[in-house]
Amino acid sequence: MKRTSLFTLAASALLTSSCFAADLTIYTYDSFNSEWGPGPQLEKSFEAQCQCDIEFIAVDDGVSILNRARIEKASTKADVLLGLDDSLTQVTRDEGLVQAHGVDLSSLTSALAWDDEDFVPFDYGYFSFIYDSSKIAQPADSLKALISSNASVIYQDPRTSTPGQGLMLWVNAVYGDEAASAWAELAKHTVTVTKGWWEAYSMFLEGGADYVLSYNTSPAYHAVVDGESKYKAALFDEGHIAQVEVAAISQYSDNPELAKQFLSFLISPEAQHIIPTTNWMLPVIDNVELPAPFSSLITPKRLNFTPAQVAEQRKAMISTWRSSAQ
Amino acid sequence: MAVICSIMTLGKTSPAKKIGLFSLSQLCWLSYPVTLLVTLLAFYGLMSFEGDSADWQLLTDSYFLGVLGFTLKQSTISSFASVLFAIPIARALNQLNAQRFKNIFLGLCLLCFVTPTLVVVTGLVALLGRSGWLTPYIESLVEDYSWNLYGLNGILLAHLFMNMPFAIRIIHQQLATIPDTSWRLAKQLKLSPWQRFVIIEKPVIQSAGLMLFGFIFVLCFNSFAVVLALGGGPQSTTLEVAVYQALKYDFNISEALTLAWSQLLIAGGLYACFSAMGTPVWQSHEVINQTTRPYPLTSQGSRLRLLALCGMGILLLLPYVALLPSISLFFTADIWRLVMQPLLLSIGLGMTSASISLVMAYTLLQPIRSQLKQKRSMRVKLLEQVATHQLFAPAMVISVGLFVFLLPRVDLDRWGIIVVILLNSAVLVPFAFQKLKPRLIQFDQQYDRLCLSLKLNTWERWKIEWAFIRPSFISAASLVFVLAAGDVAIFAIFGPSDWSTLPWLIYSLAGTYRIPEASAASLLLLLVCAGALWLLQLVANRTAISSVEPSTDAEP
Repeated sequence: MKRTSLFTLAASALLTSSCFAADLTIYTYDSFNSEWGPGPQLEKSFEAQCQCDIEFIAVDDGVSILNRARIEKASTKADVLLGLDDSLTQVTRDEGLVQAHGVDLSSLTSALAWDDEDFVPFDYGYFSFIYDSSKIAQPADSLKALISSNASVIYQDPRTSTPGQGLMLWVNAVYGDEAASAWAELAKHTVTVTKGWWEAYSMFLEGGADYVLSYNTSPAYHAVVDGESKYKAALFDEGHIAQVEVAAISQYSDNPELAKQFLSFLISPEAQHIIPTTNWMLPVIDNVELPAPFSSLITPKRLNFTPAQVAEQRKAMISTWRSSAQ
Repeated sequence: MAVICSIMTLGKTSPAKKIGLFSLSQLCWLSYPVTLLVTLLAFYGLMSFEGDSADWQLLTDSYFLGVLGFTLKQSTISSFASVLFAIPIARALNQLNAQRFKNIFLGLCLLCFVTPTLVVVTGLVALLGRSGWLTPYIESLVEDYSWNLYGLNGILLAHLFMNMPFAIRIIHQQLATIPDTSWRLAKQLKLSPWQRFVIIEKPVIQSAGLMLFGFIFVLCFNSFAVVLALGGGPQSTTLEVAVYQALKYDFNISEALTLAWSQLLIAGGLYACFSAMGTPVWQSHEVINQTTRPYPLTSQGSRLRLLALCGMGILLLLPYVALLPSISLFFTADIWRLVMQPLLLSIGLGMTSASISLVMAYTLLQPIRSQLKQKRSMRVKLLEQVATHQLFAPAMVISVGLFVFLLPRVDLDRWGIIVVILLNSAVLVPFAFQKLKPRLIQFDQQYDRLCLSLKLNTWERWKIEWAFIRPSFISAASLVFVLAAGDVAIFAIFGPSDWSTLPWLIYSLAGTYRIPEASAASLLLLLVCAGALWLLQLVANRTAISSVEPSTDAEP
């Protein structure tokens, strides 16, 4: 057995040391760089342009990207942090983890009203509750109606997943000081709170609940990929929280020029054509040709909050959530 | 090093001493700082991070109280139910004559206990999840009842499935220690069944039961993967998971520290209490040679008991049975493409970690042996505490602390797998230690003087010792292998993103509700573990025959 273990040690050392550092290292979340995600296609397309080697390092989710950059500080390998969202930008900036991008943002759609010198948006969507229209004829028409109903719900943990955090902002925007009692009411008909989006959505598709927290773009996925139109997003009166996914150049990047080139590429028509049908979100520039089902998505009113508000109140909101959802 | 150490500590009269090798035996003492180093680095990592200190205000927060309350509640119910249900089954088993069936049943119990948690979780989800086999039946029992596996229900079920079989095994073992004479006496005195239970069985069960309760309580208190997979929200979080969440989710070091210290103090305190009550039950020897059956059974009564036991066996098997339909997937190429790399990695990981932790445990035992010979019992106690401290230091705290310490210093994308191996080995040392200790001490007691008087040279002496401890060594190896191959917690933190182990693959598949594939992977993992236990047990039994005396050590 000892001989075998030595062999395993040696073999794993050899195997792992065979990966060399790339010209540009990008931290992102798992599903972005999965077989079906935009990562592989973007990599191919950008590498053809830049004649360089890029490498994605995937962690669990947006929050983990931030945490990892926080621990690593100057020793980070990341040149680009990709997959944070607008609610995390202020925290990231305050920790001094990113630098100004210098990318021309004039091509961005006016719907976003985006003006940030550190972060470049690459897609967006509205948090929405998805239901099966073959089972539910009269979906909830407001967040308050959903929370006071007894329909079973699956949502994500606001500490780990960006949709979960989105719901937290949503509840706080709608209920204000009464958020605690809203969470307690929701807890009565919550099937489970999952760690990430995938877990929740898969469980919903298996018939695990009436509603699942996802995006207004999810029905487009079902329509395009499985030709299934029964899944719909419920449109809520109070408005919806939007999620803007962003990328930024690491403060400690060895190659900021190439990183800047990559960020410009992200909002180019070429990349924007790839992202909506792989990451299933909306493009951030106008005039991107999209499959037909995208035109029948709900377009909710946008509820506003600023990244600074989130940075300031996030801890208190999480504390309220975890005490009241108990 | 282990071999050298053993030669050195045992062969004090050998010429080796004269040529200055004596200092080598002191090298074994080095294993103590080494085993402490991991823990110290982990806490250093946590505490040095931006000078954060523990957030003691949290202790009065309703969240903390809720988490603590839930942790205590679920561990109390889990351990109480496990022991309570185990008693009648163990008694029935003890009264049974069918030795073969008994052995199979006890083997199954062992398997249930060491089965990687995620196999049980997948089985339970396939059985009782939203679209599980049994869910419609449960819901049809009570009108308007909607069964939800996630939360306390699932956690209790999973804990029961893993710990009750273990309790059955131990209680049965204890009942088997009742001497034949007691039963004969009971027969002569014509004691009623109730009197027999109260007078003969209860005292034995009571002493084992209390310790067992404590041991299972600590296991459930520290439970991680079950709660993470089946918890379902903040209402059913345990301290161990809360530590993980505070670090991995919020990156709130000060909160994590408070939670970690609470976990360490409570779990460690409980462990200390229970171990003060006696030796850990799972290391005791099994007595096989029981000739008199406790009760003169009628054949009908015997058959009824057998039937009840079979029913129980099937219940225990249900989560495994739920995995069986996935066997058809093994005939497709897709599943092999999915599981091949994780399978090989898990086996490699298990073998490497098992080897390292066995060597480490053996090395740690050398100073204890020499101190024992000098009858310094206080020192022995202290050394044992240090050697096995990983048992109650929360693995999650150690992992995350080490992660924070290593991440800025080591390229974990490249070396993460080495850390997984080393950390797994470190966490498993106490298990290997507890398995090897009684046998080595037994050797010293029985043969030390003989070896000295025969003036055996170190090599001859080592040969005899090896033959004596080999069965224990091999069964320790199988246990540690299974535990390492089933690890999720450590891999969750250090695992490189482009590699996967079988349990991690199962976690991701089950998490995304790809139950058929998750079941297939679980089945494979189960086969690997059962295979390892069976194969190594076979080797252990075979080598036991040629060893100095027949092994009585067939315990995990």
